[in-house]
Formats: sequence, structure tokens, C-alpha cells
Amino acid sequence: MRPEVLLLLFGESIMLFGALGILRFPDVYTRLQAASKCDTGGAMSIILYLVITMDAPALVRAKFLVLAFLIAMMNPMVSHALARAAYRYGVVPKVVVDMYAWDNP
Amino acid sequence: MAQESLLVSAFYLLVFTAVLVTYRVLRGPTLPDRVVGLNTITTKVVVIIAIVSVMRGEYYLIDLGIVLLMVNSVGGLLLAKYMERGSRSAT
Amino acid sequence: MSRVPFYLKERLEALNEKVLRERLEASNLPSWERVIFTWVTLMVFWIVISTNATPENLSLGAAVTLLIALFMRDLLTKDMRRSGHVVEKILYFSLIYLPQYLVIMAFRLLESNLKVAKNVIFMDINPGIVKIKTDLHSDTGITILANSITLTPGTLTLDVKKKLGETYLYVHWIDLETLNREKAGEKIKGDIEEWLKKVFW
Repeated sequence: MRPEVLLLLFGESIMLFGALGILRFPDVYTRLQAASKCDTGGAMSIILYLVITMDAPALVRAKFLVLAFLIAMMNPMVSHALARAAYRYGVVPKVVVDMYAWDNP
Repeated sequence: MAQESLLVSAFYLLVFTAVLVTYRVLRGPTLPDRVVGLNTITTKVVVIIAIVSVMRGEYYLIDLGIVLLMVNSVGGLLLAKYMERGSRSAT
Repeated sequence: MSRVPFYLKERLEALNEKVLRERLEASNLPSWERVIFTWVTLMVFWIVISTNATPENLSLGAAVTLLIALFMRDLLTKDMRRSGHVVEKILYFSLIYLPQYLVIMAFRLLESNLKVAKNVIFMDINPGIVKIKTDLHSDTGITILANSITLTPGTLTLDVKKKLGETYLYVHWIDLETLNREKAGEKIKGDIEEWLKKVFW
């Protein structure tokens, strides 16, 4: 067993926990947290495993790294936009303290 | 070969997680739940495309992954704008 | 009588915006540095995407990206701080700042993934939305700070609001610990903001 396999197994288990989190969490915002964090971390670790183990010219590996960079830039941006849109759409969050509703009545 | 079987198992596990998330898309109580599920499924599909392109040695497939990721982000932003505007006119 | 403070507040807000804009204009890079920076970035992206290093492909890419960089020189580099010589700045950025940021964010991402797994198993959540204050003013800096906050353990950025020249962020926190603004900001932002203040405006 080589040590790079740990990256693949870690990414797979994190993806599985992210899907379970989307199923189990109570409202949209906590589901969004599970989706954005687990998808970004799992996808980046799986793509790093692929880059390390495949036999290809260096430019193709750089292309895979560009894919990982784009995932890391775009996934939090879309989750931020969706969170604000869900709040404006009228989904009431199940929270203890809501300072956003204090400032925007 | 060990690496081939590892990649095939990773492929099937990713498909299994995508099917799990499909429950949230079909059953979600509100519209943002469904959009979150669709975004998650699309990210998983991008990773599946990367795995397949390494497994079969056809590296042009990664262009398809990049384009799918960009279309996913633009679609998410569009749906977010649609949800904000629809709420303002309704209330 | 209750209208006068509103008017005063709006005037004050507009004035503050103007002062901030002027300070940002004064702290911009010179234009040839902006062109060269945009050109190099677009050229690297072109080479990596086309996966082809023959001379005719490289010359075609150089011509097209130079034409784009002449028009779009303010798009990427508008919010960078102006400090020191070019070579010194590029060396500092590529040898010290970028590896530092990558290492910090990699460990934060690992920690946040493990924390989400723990929350899924035990369901011990206590969510809340808090408001924190940042010292960054430019758009690029706020964007990168918000993305980093979304990737750190247990937090998700909801909205950004600029008021009276100060920037506030609303953060959905899955495991609420404190309501005090300074303590919450210190816990959420960590050392990322210190890093960002060195590079962006």
C-alpha cells in the first residue's frame, strides 16, 4: 500500500459524509455548509490523488490542477449566493440568534 | 491491477452518493433545498468525469469537466437571482 | 425634525465613499505593471488550457492575450496594494505569501471536513447568525475573505454590508460560542485577514 491511497479514501469518506449531512441536517443553511465544505475538500483530495498517480505529460497534470483551483474558487461563491437568496426568498433559519433579521426588518 | 480497481470502486461510491442526494432533490421542502442538491450532484459528476478520463487515458474529457463546472456556477447564480427577485415581487 | 439626521447620514456616507475611492486611486499600481501582470496571468491560463507548446500556438496566444490585457488591465489588479519595487513584490508574493496562504487553508479545510463529519454523526449543532467587522475595503479582498470564511470550520458567509466606510459581514455559525463582535471576529477570521491586508487594499 502506498501512502497516496489515503488521499483517495479520505476524499471518498468525506463525500459520503457530505451526502449524509445533506440528508440529515434540519434547514437550508446547515445543509449548505455540509454541501460546500465536503464537496470542495473531497473533490480537491481526489483530484490530487489522480494528479500524483497518473502517468501523463506535465501540461495535462497542470490542467487537472486548474480544475481543482476552479472548484475551490467557484463552490464557496455559489454557496454564498444561494444562502443570501434563500434568506430573501423567505426560508426562516432555525437559529438561536439572528442578527441579520435585527438589522433588516 | 490494484489502481484500476481502486478507481472503479471510487467511481461506484461517487454514483452511490449522488443517488443519496437525489432524495433531497425530489423531496426537498423548499426551492433552495433542490438547488443545493443539484449543485452537489453536478460537482460529483465533474469528479466522476475526471476519474473516467484518467481510467481510460483520454485526457480531452477534462475540458468537458471544466465547462460543466462553469455552467454549473453560472446556473447557480442565475437561480439565486431568480429567487431574490421572485420573493420581492410576491411580498 | 426626524428627517435631518437621515440627510446628514446620507451626505456623510457619500463623502466617506469619495474619500475611500480617492485613497484607493492613489494607491493603485502604475499602468504598465497592471498590463504585464494581466498578460502573464492570461498567458499561463492559455498555455495550460490549450495543452500545446508549439511556437505558432505560443505566438498566437501572446498576441491575443496582449490585446486583451491592454483593454482589461483594471479587472484583476485594481485592488492591489502599492508597496516597494516590482521584483521584490513578486518574489515576496510567490515565495512567502502564497505558500503561507495555501498551507493555512489546507489545514483549515481538513479541520472543517472532520468537523462536519463529527456534526453529522452526533448532531450536536447550535446555529446562529452573527455580525463581524473587517478592515478590508476593496472588492477582491472582501471576496477572497468571504470564500476563506466559507471554507473554515463551521462558518458560512451570508451577506456583506458597507456602511459609513466600514465593512460588516454576516456569518452563519453552526456552533455558536460567543456573541461579542471582537471575540467572534477573532475566532472566525483568524490570521487570514492579517495575510490579506498585506496584499490587497
